[in-house]
Amino acid sequence: MIDQIDNGIQIAVLVICVTAAIFKAAKYRSRTWTLLAFFYGSWLLGDIYWTVCLLFYGKTPEISVVSDLSWYASYIFLYLLLRHTSPPEELAVRKILPFLGPVFVLGMALFFMRLGAILNNLIYAGLMGLLLYALIRRLTERRNRCLPALILVFCLLEYALWTASCFWNDTIHLHPYYWFDFLLTVSMPFFLPATRKAVAA
Amino acid sequence: MNYIENTYVCLAAPLLLAILFLRKDARRLLIFLLAGMTACLCSAYVSAYLAGVTGTEAITATYEIVPVVEEVIKFLPLLFYLLIFEPEKKSPISGALLIAVGFATFENVCFLTSYGTADLLRLLIRGFGTGAMHVVCGMVVAVGLFFLWERLWLRAVGTFALLCFVITFHAIFNIFVNQSGAVFWIGSAFPLLLMLAYLVFLHRKVDLS
Repeated sequence: MIDQIDNGIQIAVLVICVTAAIFKAAKYRSRTWTLLAFFYGSWLLGDIYWTVCLLFYGKTPEISVVSDLSWYASYIFLYLLLRHTSPPEELAVRKILPFLGPVFVLGMALFFMRLGAILNNLIYAGLMGLLLYALIRRLTERRNRCLPALILVFCLLEYALWTASCFWNDTIHLHPYYWFDFLLTVSMPFFLPATRKAVAA
Repeated sequence: MNYIENTYVCLAAPLLLAILFLRKDARRLLIFLLAGMTACLCSAYVSAYLAGVTGTEAITATYEIVPVVEEVIKFLPLLFYLLIFEPEKKSPISGALLIAVGFATFENVCFLTSYGTADLLRLLIRGFGTGAMHVVCGMVVAVGLFFLWERLWLRAVGTFALLCFVITFHAIFNIFVNQSGAVFWIGSAFPLLLMLAYLVFLHRKVDLS
């Protein structure tokens, strides 16, 4: 039951966010807003797919590739959004610090792979590594850091959520997984003002 | 027993003959339509094969295997056209739409041969719903492909993301249309409502041509 409520709240928040992003994209004919709309849309579709499978068939997808594809897509759109809002001179800079992102991701991937789903974990690690590399590079530039900082919080919440799900325990009524998922839902609308700032900069 | 390849031959034969006599744009558009129908036939074979190999039930395959196979195979003719002919922006968008239309048309014909033609209302909803869903998916991929990215590698990554996006949309549609009653109606109407919303609110603001 708590699972359905959690998904329901996230879907409701995402519907509002995706509608707002689509109207901004149409109003300003902006690639940045379109990418944000696709990010929200992909995440929303993944959530809806997962929820309707539970609702109509009483089980999560046996081959969970479809919802995972949707979440892969949302990370790609987030990366493209970050890249699109980065000044070209920043993209050319090579630094060592951003490589901390892929190193962290690799460590976590090895931890998650102990539980199986090796290919899936590798794909998530590749996408998260790319995203973390790009956003740490942006954060080191000390200007217009609102969007990358928010994406960093979002990624860390995702990792907290995945780690919590590794220690699943049915005896805990409100498992930490739900706290992190709720925080993730709360973080979603903040992408709208952060993108507006990035566009204005 | 349905022999969909026989149905395909019957439908494709007149189109093939017309392609021989038509010129330039009309010929290209008809080839796209035929490519969509061929993609539908191929994806039926591949989906059935994968469902057999993985031991997936038919109903589960409709929302876990079929959307992935259909969207990927539907994209292949467009990809071939883009890589070989390197066209201008305008023609691949109409091409993507026609591939989607050809695909939906052949899928509807297969549906007719499997379930009969007695229930007109259901067929009407099914026809418009499936058609709208494939067109929406085709449009999202085509528009994304041409308007969102300027570099080749970004286009490749972005196109993969868009394919993932439409696969999930397709899968959700299939789950809804597999149900009965109000859920079936809502699922079938949703792509149509999306197209209507696009026409009413966004058509003037987003000029695809």
